[in-house]
Amino acid sequence: MAMTRFASSEASRGLLMVAPPALYALLLLAVPLAAIFAFSFWTQDFLTIDFTPTLKNYREAFSEPLYGELILRSVLIAGSVTLATVVLAFPIAYFVSFHVAPNRKSLWIFLITIPFWTSYLIRVFLWKVILGYNGVLNTTLQGLGLTEEPLTFILYNANAVVITLAHAFAPFAILPIFVALEKIDRSLIEAAQDLGENRVMTFIRVTLPLAVPGIVAATLIVFIPTIGDYVTPRLVGGPNGLMIANMIQTQFLKLNNAPMGATLAVIAMTVVTVIALLFIWLNRKWLRARS
Amino acid sequence: MSQATSATPPIVSLRGVHKYYGTYHALRGVDLDIGSGEFFSLLGPSGCGKTTLLRTIAGFEDISQGTLLLSGQDMRGVPANKRPTNMVFQSYAIFPHLTVAENVAFGLRRRRDLDKRAKGALVDEALEMAGLDGFGPRAAHALSGGQRQRVALARALILKPKVLLLDEPLSALDKKLREQMQNELRRLQRHVGITFILVTHDQEEALIMSDRIAVMFEGEIAQLADPQTLYRRPLSRRVANFIGTMNFLPARVNGDMLDIAGLGRATVKPDQAPGGMPSGDGHIGIRPETMSILFEGDATPAQTANGKVVELAYYGDMTYYDVLLDDTETPVTVSMKNLVGRRVLERGDRARISWDERSLVVFS
Repeated sequence: MAMTRFASSEASRGLLMVAPPALYALLLLAVPLAAIFAFSFWTQDFLTIDFTPTLKNYREAFSEPLYGELILRSVLIAGSVTLATVVLAFPIAYFVSFHVAPNRKSLWIFLITIPFWTSYLIRVFLWKVILGYNGVLNTTLQGLGLTEEPLTFILYNANAVVITLAHAFAPFAILPIFVALEKIDRSLIEAAQDLGENRVMTFIRVTLPLAVPGIVAATLIVFIPTIGDYVTPRLVGGPNGLMIANMIQTQFLKLNNAPMGATLAVIAMTVVTVIALLFIWLNRKWLRARS
Repeated sequence: MSQATSATPPIVSLRGVHKYYGTYHALRGVDLDIGSGEFFSLLGPSGCGKTTLLRTIAGFEDISQGTLLLSGQDMRGVPANKRPTNMVFQSYAIFPHLTVAENVAFGLRRRRDLDKRAKGALVDEALEMAGLDGFGPRAAHALSGGQRQRVALARALILKPKVLLLDEPLSALDKKLREQMQNELRRLQRHVGITFILVTHDQEEALIMSDRIAVMFEGEIAQLADPQTLYRRPLSRRVANFIGTMNFLPARVNGDMLDIAGLGRATVKPDQAPGGMPSGDGHIGIRPETMSILFEGDATPAQTANGKVVELAYYGDMTYYDVLLDDTETPVTVSMKNLVGRRVLERGDRARISWDERSLVVFS
């Protein structure tokens, strides 16, 4: 009796503790997600919403080739951004972890986060200035006599989106890889050399496998938000650099078709989930195959 | 008496080795020859340069000045992966992403002459030698401290190095396991016949395991000798203090005649002053176990002294008495076995002590 009272008071205290974050998560995450999910089964005629459940939106989403094309393009752009970001972030993280004096590391990490001090929107505009027809890059290249005409493939297309996003997400990739590299016991590197491996083989056999958790984290952290990005494609993507989020925005705000926007959002979320799970599964399988 | 050189031709040879870290002088002119098949220990307090010396031999640190030869070859500019040495790290440095067998086989990748089966056989052999039968498929991160150490040993010995370097390998283990591993390491070394160089700060461990010991202070070798010489004939008071316990008493020295505070007159042989016989003021050193407290009925030996018990520590098998000898200021420690029927004195008791001039060591 006394036990149960104790347990229940313990439990109620615990519930009280988690209540604010639970409420927060419920109101700001679960409710909007549920709303989006519900909307995807409704229809809208101008401003009135028809609450009769229907699969019409999904049928349309899968039969209209434009939506599929946009999702595929989003996956490809986010994939390219992730690849470029992680590949470029690794050497930076490696350098800071292995070649910067321990007392300078936090300064370096601090410097790496400096781009975050300016608004995301301003950073995107800056890339417009750099990549534009009369932009910094083109005038420099022409000034040096390296090109005769301005390069046009670097702005208002998918390339521009990839460049801009890769820059914006660089710290997100550098930090988890840096943390993973910092956690590697330096005597493991020495042990590999002691056992006869040169620097390159030591990197391949010891450093890289031990950095995998950081690389996986960086990949997911970059891939998941970029696939749904809509500011960057809107500003530097041009007509051929638009992504699925732009279409969702158009459905909601311009075409007054919230149910169709919700449907596309659900499909996009499903695609991200499937790709992320597939990636984690492949990674697990690879790790298990090695050990 | 003292074995400053090894009996077999040297496999490791250092001449005038200096190492600087910026302005810090870590090694100050080390000369050392280590013979093939020797169990050699580098002993000293932390910061004495013993680990630096070991890492220099392994190739993780380059030397600032001097030469290092491994089996007659100059190691200048030779990286760690090209040296005929392998190391057991203090942290063991077991690769956490690999199994025990993969850890042990790590260094075999470059052996193109061996096929997969031959490598597997070598791994099994090494695991058996290290007492890790059947541990091959286990994940490395799930091992205990003692097991990790065995993996580190197997991983190094499988490559049949000319020299095995051990960096405080037993310091992370508890007392029982440490004693067991000391015996095992010694047996393993005799079995494989490889030169072992052990770095330790534990003088007892060094005495138990080594053929020869180099005691290091501040980047220099203070004494290089076999365990018995090191214990009985320390070159300086500092070495004597680091190896076991030694009592020091001021003494007047006149040739081979001594007048020792609290003990009285004694005559010594020249080898009792390994650091050179001082003249005039000097010190003698005497080990606690070479003195004893006389009880009623004991035969009276030639050399005795009187004093008072000021402190005692009862260890079960032994009792350690701090005895303040008459006309002296600092007490000496006397250890007594707690034999059957022998009583334990109390604080404040008067004590009569017997000692022997043959056990004295004279220092300046």
